[in-house]
Amino acid sequence: MCLCLTECFEYFSNVEMAAQLNLSGHPDSGLPSLTDQSMSSRTSNRSLRVAEKERRKNEAEDPSVLALQYFYNVEAGTPVSGNDEVERNLVLVEQVAYRNGLSPEAISIMLEFAMSLRMGHSLCPRVLKCLIPVTVVPQEAVVRGVSWLGVGKIPVSTQVLFIKWVLTVFDMIDAKDQLRAIYGFIFSFVSEENLCPFICHLLYLLTSKQIVRVFRVRKLLELQSKLGRQPFLLNLLSLYKVFCPELVTFSIPSQSKSVFKNHNMPWKSALFAVQKRNGSQVASSISLASASKDGTNRRKRKRHHLEIPVLRSVVNKEPQTETRRRLVPLVQIQSVAELLENMDHIELPAQMGSLLGSSLALQYLDCVQDESALLRLNFWLGYALHEELLFCGDGASQNSEESLQFLNKLLSTQHFLQEGFSSSEAFLYKFLNVWDGSLLRPQILGLLSNIPVIPSSQIERLLFKPLMQLFFTSSVFFKCGLIECLNNMLLKWLIWHSVYALEDDLDISRNSHTSINMTLSGFKDSVMGLVDFVGRLASSGLQLEGCHSLLLSFILDFYTMVCDTFLKYGLPLVVMPPPGVFYPALFATDPVSVDRLAFIMYRYKVNLTSAKIQEKLTDQAFHISRQTFHEFNNYTVYMVNCLWNSKMFQPGMGVQLGEELLLKSNVPQYWTSFDLVHHPAFMSYAIDFHQKCWPGKKDIDLDSIKHSKPWSWYLEYLFSQGYDGLALFVQSNIRARQGNGQQGDSLST
Amino acid sequence: MSRGFVYNILFRTGIVLSVYIRMSLLKPFSKLPGLNAANILLVECEEQFQKSLADALVEETAVTVYVRLAKSLPLPKENEESRPRIDLVVFIINLTSELSFQSAEASLKYLDPGYLLGKVCFMVTNARNASVPTERLDAVRKLAAALHCPLLFAEDQTPDGVTYATKRLLSILKVSAGLVPMATALYLSSLTSCTVPPDIDQPSFD
Repeated sequence: MCLCLTECFEYFSNVEMAAQLNLSGHPDSGLPSLTDQSMSSRTSNRSLRVAEKERRKNEAEDPSVLALQYFYNVEAGTPVSGNDEVERNLVLVEQVAYRNGLSPEAISIMLEFAMSLRMGHSLCPRVLKCLIPVTVVPQEAVVRGVSWLGVGKIPVSTQVLFIKWVLTVFDMIDAKDQLRAIYGFIFSFVSEENLCPFICHLLYLLTSKQIVRVFRVRKLLELQSKLGRQPFLLNLLSLYKVFCPELVTFSIPSQSKSVFKNHNMPWKSALFAVQKRNGSQVASSISLASASKDGTNRRKRKRHHLEIPVLRSVVNKEPQTETRRRLVPLVQIQSVAELLENMDHIELPAQMGSLLGSSLALQYLDCVQDESALLRLNFWLGYALHEELLFCGDGASQNSEESLQFLNKLLSTQHFLQEGFSSSEAFLYKFLNVWDGSLLRPQILGLLSNIPVIPSSQIERLLFKPLMQLFFTSSVFFKCGLIECLNNMLLKWLIWHSVYALEDDLDISRNSHTSINMTLSGFKDSVMGLVDFVGRLASSGLQLEGCHSLLLSFILDFYTMVCDTFLKYGLPLVVMPPPGVFYPALFATDPVSVDRLAFIMYRYKVNLTSAKIQEKLTDQAFHISRQTFHEFNNYTVYMVNCLWNSKMFQPGMGVQLGEELLLKSNVPQYWTSFDLVHHPAFMSYAIDFHQKCWPGKKDIDLDSIKHSKPWSWYLEYLFSQGYDGLALFVQSNIRARQGNGQQGDSLST
Repeated sequence: MSRGFVYNILFRTGIVLSVYIRMSLLKPFSKLPGLNAANILLVECEEQFQKSLADALVEETAVTVYVRLAKSLPLPKENEESRPRIDLVVFIINLTSELSFQSAEASLKYLDPGYLLGKVCFMVTNARNASVPTERLDAVRKLAAALHCPLLFAEDQTPDGVTYATKRLLSILKVSAGLVPMATALYLSSLTSCTVPPDIDQPSFD
């Protein structure tokens, strides 16, 4: 762009104006203006210049250029009514704007025309509505626009419209330094009641630490006492509080960080449409454009609606070392060593979203406990997620490929930081309530597994209610996915606990990123809630899906972790699986499930025993309820009776059936049906063993395996097939062998 | 065996005659069920999503699924004899239209209360649309919660969304038609019935 301009001035001073008014339909007007000084070397390709010359000539006759020229030159006080010329030119500009968007110059001209009220204020809203930028919005234009606000002739509705427009295109403003410089001026509009919400939003986006002053806080508090606790004031104050906690002393509800209201839908959809349309032209024009690297990058970004911004500093120009107190923009840092060197004076980028794209920036975010950085990032993220995913403007046109990449990026960031963002958490709570269970499922479940510990008082309504409905009305694969997700969630909670419990024994309040304090018992309640919830899902899910073995496998995964909470993660809590999980696993037709159940029971035993020992050693140790021991004993005794002793139906056991009923069933020796020989899962092994043991025998008599010698061989044979869980279970629970070895003895803790 | 495909456009005029009211109350247990078959009735006032759902539903091969479409209830009296027992009534509500909600609400009056024991569900489309007033979604939620019915959300704009919505309806239908051993419609509805979430905009953690 810059290249074109200088050259045009050089060669065609007579069409200067037209050149300036270069409209954006043009392929290479997409280049950022005024930044690539180096590109304007006069030695550039001559033929390119000739081509430019031709194009300029054509453009001089382009009606829309003439239209812009008209608005640039029009005299103040020209009447509007009955003025066909204005109407015609405005229609032309609107056409271009809605089709291709307006170039930076065109935006400057039209904004200046509208805000200066040269032709009264009736045209103002119409002009503002068509200000759809194709690339960037020049900062100077915005600053001039803001300065016109001070003149005071503009109707309030138009003022609001202007601020809304600034908010919409905020990310496209090419630099923010001058806007930040007139922060005080913008702040002065806060007292105008109608403008206040929007001004607050704008201020929120512009605020930096140096700007927070006592008198501003006082002004906001004064407004708050007048208008009540408005969310926009609270938002701004909470940001101030982050920067200067000593100035804002009253408490702000920590979770009131709901995003500012969305008030830019008309522009947004037009902007999206324009960007989409231009996107298709980019490829063809890229060869001509000889663009700098930055230029192409940015253009690419504009094509995507939901892309992570490129890392850029606040000021687009070279940093002026004198005035800026040696702040180093993050974008200039190339290595970890440099990062460490400049740790204390790093300037955060203009768009916090860009942090997601850079691993160095994430390193910085992770080690600097900078609340403001996280707050800004959360703000941006919450806004993006809310706008693009939760309430996409027009349903179908939402580009799922973009959302997919965005969420994947977010996931990998959370992975890197090993914690979730509070904004993605808040987003999920809302999204779960309108989710169909299939849209972006892997990503949503991934995000869900990252959410931090929820207090047990909230967990039911925030998480369990919506998940429960989704779980029971969805396919078995969704059920598996959700169980796995909850498994990961529990794992993260437990790891989090084991890390923080090490640091401080009693108070395991969370790190400074969030203000939730949680005691050990509170944490235990939450974990217990989660485990119970999965138990509920699992029991009913298995019942509805006919004990689907895939689902059972995921459920056993979950209990493999739950049984080890005490020894592996140091959490003094033991929760047994519900009968709805235990019995289906014990009577499963696949040997793997039975083996895994045996392993889980073995680990429960190890955990409970060591807990008991610890309780004896140190008096103040935790207390495991008798109920848990009782449940464990019942399960173990039943399992041993069933698999080992061939006594399935004993009085007082978990599964009881009337004697007459069992006789009526005509099953011979029904009490042996689920021992290790006759259990459907192991029957094939028993037959195989029988054939190997007595190769000559024609008729198979499985009962003969139960004699003492073949029984021990059979066990050996089973354990050699890889059923380690079973081996561990047998070794730990069956001690004394009596008589012919059929009898085992269950050991109860 | 399968591919049973009954496509009845039952009621198009939308005029509710008071004569019909008593006669055409749809009853869940007045007829015997068919063997290995399930009947689903899709009620949608705009008749947009119905068609694609119905096409996908009859693809099911494990059981014979008969789909019946209606614009609103009550169903006309003429076919009452030949009409099989309906196992599941689905009210499809397009959130972008107020009429859609009102129509579903009005149709509910022509259902026998027995249906509310797990044989009714609501399917909502366009819930993520920005132009939908939140009050409308809340109203639908309240309605579903008051009737203890599940409230499903569907992405009707994408093929994947339609497929998945179909799968979910089928899983409910199979239970309510008695095709899943050990599960009844009432049991499932006790697990899935909608509740009105309190305002989650500002979860106060303190």
